[in-house]
Amino acid sequence: MFETGIRQLRMAVSMVSGRRLNTGNLGRLVDDALVTIAEFGEPGADAQQLLGGPIDDPEERLEFARRGLRRTARRLEAHSPFYARRLAATDTTTSELDITGLQAIPVTTKRDLIERPGDFRCADVAVHLTTRTTGTTGTPAEIWLSRYEMELWSALGALAGVIRDELRPNDIMQVNMSSRATAATHLAAASCRLARTGCRLLGVVSPDEALDSLCSGGSTILSTYPSYLAELVTAARRRGLGPGDFELRRVTVGGEVLSPSLARAACQALGVPQIDDIFSMTEVIPVSGRICSQAHLHYDLSTGLVELLDLETGEPAAPGALATVVITPYFPYRDCMPVFRYDTRDVVRCLAGETLSCEMANTPAASQILGKADSLLRLGPADVITPRQLTDAIEALPTEPWPARYRAAVHGGRIRLTLPAAAISDYGETAARQHFAEAGLDVDLAIVSDDQAESLRHTRSDLREPAFARPQAPLVGAGHVE
Amino acid sequence: MSSEFAIPLLQQSFIEFGVTLTASVTVATGALYYLRRVRMERPPIGTFNGRDIVIVMVLIITLPFLYAVMPSWLITCFLVATFAASLSIGYRQVVGSGPVWLGIGVLVGANIWESHTMMGSVAGWQLWWAELDVLVLLGAIAVANLYVQGGMRLQHVAWFGLALAVYDLAASLGINVTAVLVEKFIGAPLDPTFGMRFNVNNYGIGIGDLLFYALFVTASYKAFGWAAARLAFVVMLVFGAAAPALAPLAFTLIDFRNDILIPSQVFFAPAAFLCYLWMKRRYGRERTMAEFWASADSGAIQAPVPQPEPAPEPASA
Repeated sequence: MFETGIRQLRMAVSMVSGRRLNTGNLGRLVDDALVTIAEFGEPGADAQQLLGGPIDDPEERLEFARRGLRRTARRLEAHSPFYARRLAATDTTTSELDITGLQAIPVTTKRDLIERPGDFRCADVAVHLTTRTTGTTGTPAEIWLSRYEMELWSALGALAGVIRDELRPNDIMQVNMSSRATAATHLAAASCRLARTGCRLLGVVSPDEALDSLCSGGSTILSTYPSYLAELVTAARRRGLGPGDFELRRVTVGGEVLSPSLARAACQALGVPQIDDIFSMTEVIPVSGRICSQAHLHYDLSTGLVELLDLETGEPAAPGALATVVITPYFPYRDCMPVFRYDTRDVVRCLAGETLSCEMANTPAASQILGKADSLLRLGPADVITPRQLTDAIEALPTEPWPARYRAAVHGGRIRLTLPAAAISDYGETAARQHFAEAGLDVDLAIVSDDQAESLRHTRSDLREPAFARPQAPLVGAGHVE
Repeated sequence: MSSEFAIPLLQQSFIEFGVTLTASVTVATGALYYLRRVRMERPPIGTFNGRDIVIVMVLIITLPFLYAVMPSWLITCFLVATFAASLSIGYRQVVGSGPVWLGIGVLVGANIWESHTMMGSVAGWQLWWAELDVLVLLGAIAVANLYVQGGMRLQHVAWFGLALAVYDLAASLGINVTAVLVEKFIGAPLDPTFGMRFNVNNYGIGIGDLLFYALFVTASYKAFGWAAARLAFVVMLVFGAAAPALAPLAFTLIDFRNDILIPSQVFFAPAAFLCYLWMKRRYGRERTMAEFWASADSGAIQAPVPQPEPAPEPASA
């Protein structure tokens, strides 16, 4: 207990002072947390404060952000060629930087990262591992990570996971994410190692193979993309599998829009109470967010600053307006190839100033991610259709066409929505149009053959990883194959 | 040997037995009651373990030497801080923050005042002892629960006791540090001793001994339930209260000041250790705190569990 107290103090001092955290110390804290939960069944009070948040007082939160920004900008000015130039060009005095002064510094775009990746690498850090964005929304960007970062994030992830009862020593986590998402898969494995949780890195294999593994491999946690979850649910239904065939207690998804229809179906099929929808993004690791029970997206503000900027003006967005999410991970949580004011182009709607009453009310929130800014459909100055609206509506069709495959464009002030035939089979175009109208979408439908479905819209489940040897037949539920 | 004392040794021994019996029964039942009724706050993560025993032992061994060289006012300051910390941790959630600090102020202030003004008569001494006894008992009950509810197991208690016994033997009969401390503390503010004065003699038992008795009984109860607690209670009465108090009838334990100093743990700790070994064989694995709270043995009010909030976690690309 005394040693643990000293470890917590060391961690807190590093967080407050902005020095690099000792990752060995964090790893030992994970061990301490495991022993604590084994003894008491739960962590003690204020466990969340140990992880650096949330900060309830807005003034305190502002001061925390100011210190984080200045610390991060000072380091970038000294070690990052890209930001040294940018900060010099904008005459930024890093020691006086605050939230208001940030507006003078242009946001960083994915194009910047793709065109000049070397300029983002800090000169004082040795590279360890590179990870690339999956490229489903454009050209992939490559991010270099240091050994410190990989150890830090996995330790923080394991500590948070153990404290929140998301990782237990008797769990097995099955990871159905693209093997090319090296940071995500390495971090999943490393966090599991620290939390003494089993980890099965399967990749985006065939859904039947993943289901076999879920059914017979004792997996209790599934981590994947919404689109792949959709394929798993469809395959499970086809095979007649139900909650009794799985030992899952938790399913987490991220990286794509998760529709309510799919979430409900996944809960029913896999036997879990809810699907945890997590926001994270390779470029802005380790800043993350999660969805509360009232469908707000709450960002973790202990590791970075989150700005919501107006899509047109680039100024802080007004309550109720659509905004792009701009994120600055703080030093010392990011040190090899940091970004500053990175424009994710993920669109949210700012909450209209209402008082939050959800279980995460002490953390600022916005709406869920509504899609990428470049995929918005503008029908008029104030009439914007988001990808989430389309996905939610399509995945709510009685035909359950999961994951949603569509192409949408504006023609003559109306939405032209292209769907594969299977999406409306046995339902009909008229009923489908009525369905979309009820969802607030006045659409013209264009139907294409099912073999064109994947070309309409790529999803992460398309990052399929074939194997030479496949099971001859599904191991579980084979008798139900239709 | 009794001819050397103003009061016969037999009478002294039985008075001492009465004092230790009162103290040990009160502290053990109080600690058990507290364990059953109050769920203490604890840090986010951390469990009492074997290394903590080593740290506590180092403190126990070091502090007497520091006390011996520290000026009285500094010792008083240290004791005020120690009592205030233990009482506030133990009773803040029972009676509330304001009342607990008021109570600490009254008890500590009164003891300091009495130490300077009321030591001229037997009645004054008795008032001083009575008021100090309340402080000592409350402190021992709080700290015993802090340790046991912090995850200290009966196994830890048993080994801790053996280490204490070795220290007690050496400090009392070897290097005489206990005698020096008794002389320095008696009548001084916040003497960490439960005691009472009868006639010209003071009779007492140290807070460390009482703490250990409370630890042994509560840890036995937490680990194995009522049957184990009853056995631990009997062992405490026989080897913690009776045997040390009556030992001077059989052994010469007179120190250089003509006081009788009895290293209680030399009697109690080996018996407690053997008792632990028997319980382990009889009952098997010790219960965790979670298992204890979930059992019918715990009447403690369940503390609200904080809901987790967003925090750093592995990214998904």
